[in-house]
Amino acid sequence: MHIEPLRPEEIRDAELLELIRRCEELGVPDSLFPRILARAPAHAKALLRALLLSHTEGNVDHRLKEIIRVRLARIAGDPYFGGLRSAQAMQAGLDEETIAAGSGKFEDDPRFTAAEKWALRYAREMYLNPETVDAAFYDEGKKHYTEAQIMELGAFIAFHYGMQAFARTLGARPLPRNEG
Amino acid sequence: MALDPDQIGPEFYDELRRHYSEEEIVELGAFIGFNIGYHTFFGTLKFYPMFSPDGRLVSQDESARIYGEKPASLEKTDQTADEFFSIPP
Repeated sequence: MHIEPLRPEEIRDAELLELIRRCEELGVPDSLFPRILARAPAHAKALLRALLLSHTEGNVDHRLKEIIRVRLARIAGDPYFGGLRSAQAMQAGLDEETIAAGSGKFEDDPRFTAAEKWALRYAREMYLNPETVDAAFYDEGKKHYTEAQIMELGAFIAFHYGMQAFARTLGARPLPRNEG
Repeated sequence: MALDPDQIGPEFYDELRRHYSEEEIVELGAFIGFNIGYHTFFGTLKFYPMFSPDGRLVSQDESARIYGEKPASLEKTDQTADEFFSIPP
């Protein structure tokens, strides 16, 4: 680890502790990334709030966001976020096979709806071929999603990819499950 | 981080610690990551600054003419990170 996380007993800010607890409960992130961020406490609180809100709230299926999040981590080359799983998504029925399918050739996969395929393309193309995410692409998205949902997806993709790009440089890996 | 993340290893962080506290490094890393994510997203939305460099409120068409149709974040580059960030003579 290139930046050591604070030890749990070194974090005394109640709001930050509660955010870390919520992250551990969700499983994304586990406590490691929050305890690294906790070295800059004001930033940690804003970033963790945004990670949790963008992933678990809004009007886009959390399971779809979880598939997208893992795909993005693979694009970013980040084994930390790529190795984490949302307990909420898994409890809602998401499985590893579907997560893997979302990172593969999903275009012809009948398990995904046309709307989900557009969202998966959105995440894939945003950082691999951003020039293809043009007006026609957004027009296609509007057939499946409201503009509010598209902004929710776009902001989710941008934020999580950005944190994955940072996490990759930290040399972080998911904690064993019982260390949460 | 954006162009050549494999260059950022333990020696890179050791070098950073000569100049910044760990709190400042975390602040910088998160800020850079945030910008890596959002600038590409914003680039796909094709919106431009509301104001010209001299402070006039301008239309999106005029702003695109002033600031350029294609954001640098959407340009592919074969440059190395050092070349990308080098200051021209």
